[in-house]
Amino acid sequence: MNKTLLSLIVYVATLGVFHNVLFPIFTPKEIGMVMNRYVYYLIMVLTVIFLHLIMKLKPTMAFRGLMVWTLGFYFYKFILFPPVPWTLFITYMMLWSIGTFLYISQDPITFREFREPIVKTIVGEYKFAQILVFTLMPFLVGFGTYKALYPTFEEPVELRTVHPAPPATTKVHGKTYALEGLQNPFRIAEQDDYQDSFPFLDADKSEYMRHITDGGSLFFQNCHYCHGDQLNGLGMFSHVFNPTPANFVDPGTIAMLRESFLFWRVSKGGPGLPNESTPWSSAMPPWEEHLKTDEIWKIILFEYWYTGWHPRTFDGESSITLKE
Amino acid sequence: MNKVPQFFKDPNTEVKDMFGKTISKKYGAITVAFLLAFAVYLLPGAVTDAFAKEAFAEQVFAEEAFAKEVMAEEAVEGEGEPKIEWGQDVFYKDWEGNPLKGPISGAPAPELGENDYNHYEFAPSRIIIWVANQQHLYFGSFVLAVPIFCMLIEFVGIRSRESDPVMADKYDKLAHDLMKVSLTAYSWTAILGGILLFTFITLFPGFFKYMATIFRPVMHVYALMFLAESGVLYVYYYGWDKMNNDPFLKWVHCSLSVLLNLIGTVLMYLANSWATFMQAPGGIDEKGQFLGNIWHVIHSTLWNPVGVHRILGNIVFGGGIVGAYAAYHYLTARNAEERAHYDWVCYVAMFICIFGLIPLPFAGYWLMKEVYAFRQQMGITLMGGIMAWLFIIQAVMIGLLFFAANSYLHNGMARVKGSHRYMKYCKYMILLLIVCFTMWMTPHTIVMTPAELKVMGGAQHPVVGHFGVMSAKNTAVNLMITCTALCFVLYQRANKKINVPWATIGNCWIAAIFVGAALNIIYLGVYGYFLPANQRVGLSVPQVSSTLTALFAGVAINISMFKDSESYGDIEWGTQSKVGTYAIFLLAISFTWLMGLMGYIRSAVRLFWHVTEVLRDNSVDAYTLTIGEAGKMLSFNTLFVWTQFVIVFWVASLTAKKATAEKAPDGVPVPAQQQQ
Repeated sequence: MNKTLLSLIVYVATLGVFHNVLFPIFTPKEIGMVMNRYVYYLIMVLTVIFLHLIMKLKPTMAFRGLMVWTLGFYFYKFILFPPVPWTLFITYMMLWSIGTFLYISQDPITFREFREPIVKTIVGEYKFAQILVFTLMPFLVGFGTYKALYPTFEEPVELRTVHPAPPATTKVHGKTYALEGLQNPFRIAEQDDYQDSFPFLDADKSEYMRHITDGGSLFFQNCHYCHGDQLNGLGMFSHVFNPTPANFVDPGTIAMLRESFLFWRVSKGGPGLPNESTPWSSAMPPWEEHLKTDEIWKIILFEYWYTGWHPRTFDGESSITLKE
Repeated sequence: MNKVPQFFKDPNTEVKDMFGKTISKKYGAITVAFLLAFAVYLLPGAVTDAFAKEAFAEQVFAEEAFAKEVMAEEAVEGEGEPKIEWGQDVFYKDWEGNPLKGPISGAPAPELGENDYNHYEFAPSRIIIWVANQQHLYFGSFVLAVPIFCMLIEFVGIRSRESDPVMADKYDKLAHDLMKVSLTAYSWTAILGGILLFTFITLFPGFFKYMATIFRPVMHVYALMFLAESGVLYVYYYGWDKMNNDPFLKWVHCSLSVLLNLIGTVLMYLANSWATFMQAPGGIDEKGQFLGNIWHVIHSTLWNPVGVHRILGNIVFGGGIVGAYAAYHYLTARNAEERAHYDWVCYVAMFICIFGLIPLPFAGYWLMKEVYAFRQQMGITLMGGIMAWLFIIQAVMIGLLFFAANSYLHNGMARVKGSHRYMKYCKYMILLLIVCFTMWMTPHTIVMTPAELKVMGGAQHPVVGHFGVMSAKNTAVNLMITCTALCFVLYQRANKKINVPWATIGNCWIAAIFVGAALNIIYLGVYGYFLPANQRVGLSVPQVSSTLTALFAGVAINISMFKDSESYGDIEWGTQSKVGTYAIFLLAISFTWLMGLMGYIRSAVRLFWHVTEVLRDNSVDAYTLTIGEAGKMLSFNTLFVWTQFVIVFWVASLTAKKATAEKAPDGVPVPAQQQQ
């Protein structure tokens, strides 16, 4: 039997069995270290390789290329969870396709092997394949055109800048602050020294924990409805907003920013955003209208302490202001 | 008179080096010396900042003391004497951290109005100046890069005259041919520079007047340096044949190329100072008044990183153009001899190109670090704000460059006898490259519909969201570079049977260095997630060190192992695959586009300022283009410059045809792997 055909049967059968039988088993509600979709994928790929090795199958380069490409497609389409947005999916598949091309074109022999069935189909050596391809192609082009022209009513994508450049200065409660070099006045000690302390319980033990406690109280009074009691952006109202509230636990939010940026962002809220950040899309109120300057700083202090992140600083600059 | 030491002639000591010629084993040391010299060259990039700041502290201290002295004198002298007005520098600080004071020596920056800008009907002035600037820069970059190649190639040619005269002639001819093209391109660059100057004067007279006032002496020095560059260039080119036969004169000739490069570098640095001043000014007060120290104006904070970045970029760009030129001739060659010659030229060009490409991201990283340090606002606008999408495009282009380079190496390796031992690793290297590249270009902010956002459960993806930050990016790019370096090591040894007694130990060392570097890079990348941002930035230094150590140590050990090696067979020049050759075109075009893109980003980050925070752009064109419009302009610039390159190469080939008709070169070059 043709080894490529055998390889095709083995590959499709393995994929079918894995996807329909093992995939549901490996995706339970409680995800474990072993019972998860990524381990499942790894086992599946290893099984395909293993079967090819023990059956001594060596399919043609064209089919190997196809296998590699479809395994990538399968990963990004079904394994990676939650599903990535369409733009990212296209990007990933484009990269994977480039990788597949590099694989098949790594030397002239493999590339010739890859081209062989294509050339043979075009010149008519594979008669059946030629008829099939040249019959289906106009239909595929027609279908593609139909899909492209058919009007859809999906919301357009937005190129929203999540962290826009802050202004040089900001005016809060009548006072103008230069954001460059502005520091949190309540950051009077290293937050790492208080990792084992707890706001409210240890509030009386040190001045620093008292500020954290104040910040925490204010956070739970004002912010947690949207930003969540775990500061992960999943507050009780978060699901009705688009975009969803910021997740402070994520390494890409407050961990990347200076405290002065947060001060500006919290004070001015959504309406204070520049156009590139679509101020009309943000539901955050300008907190300067509801909180005092000190209260804003204390909330920021609490957010960093709670998440364990440190505010961004630059060379030779300390995040501590009043170190004695 | 033969000045070559005896040991260079000993036939028993012959081995080959990475340039692909049979040479004495001592020449292997030259390659290592090149690598070390390059490492030393890069070192200032890593530590200059520290040195500069310290040196600067002393300088500032002296200036401050002088300023106080003058003020004290003024106070004593009292009224009646002309008062010196003092201004505070917008960037420089004294040793106590206060703004540096300097005597106001110029007029304030003007508030530009409608009359300070002129227009044509057919296009906005800002677009015209962009095209003029970009075209001049492309050509400037090329003419600065070619002398660097010629210097290296001529030097290698001279050094191999004794051991391999055929090869030496080949090198010499190649360097000469390149200079011929460069000479035409040089005049072209000057014409484009003139067009740029006139565009500035006619369309932006107000702005140019201010710049000319500040940079008056620099502009004159620049013009004089241009004169010196032309003089040396003409002597270098037209004296080629005359100085070719006498060994002493040949060395003098080669030294002229060093001088040419030195003057060229000074020229570029002087011109850079105008651009870096506009982006991050220094030496003036907040009204834009010059504070009397021209060095401060030139040596603003971005001057050094931009300079280093541009030198490396020029090398890659020049390599890409020469490579594409050779690739075109390779594909259209009519006989085996021509094909062999141009295949070899492709190899030399790609070697130089990849050599520049590997450290280029580090220089870029240094530049961005300095931009962030200058103004957080500017850094965020670039990396997280309005320009962030252009950076994603940049990531794609950089990935393409690495893919093209690796594709060329894989295909080049495939034709070498004995390479079957290493070809099986290629697929794993490709997998690593793709995985790293996927991390490298996963954006922090994903473009998505609101429905997709809800499905994802938040703005950040719980898995790939981790790739959106700097820790992942640094790890990815370092691994990509390490992987490319490993590919190069395998390419070098593809046809060699290693015979040194310590072969196993050497192989273990190479493996340990690369695996150790990769593990260290990954460990530091993961560790970065647990550190504050300012400390995390510091991790990039050991990551880069790991990469460079793997590169330099790996290549050095590899070369030392070639002693007494046996060859599985020669490279047959002229047998490079078409895919590998097209990869060169991909690299050249991508790099041209990328160069335009990054230049645009660097310049456009000033937004509505001519000179950041000092001289506002009040023209009707002071808006930022949409990504699509910017992309169209970049593509136009790329197409336009390549059309000009084709013309320049054609003009240069007019004389070459006559010379070729006279006599075809003897023999083909001896390949790298054709040793013993």
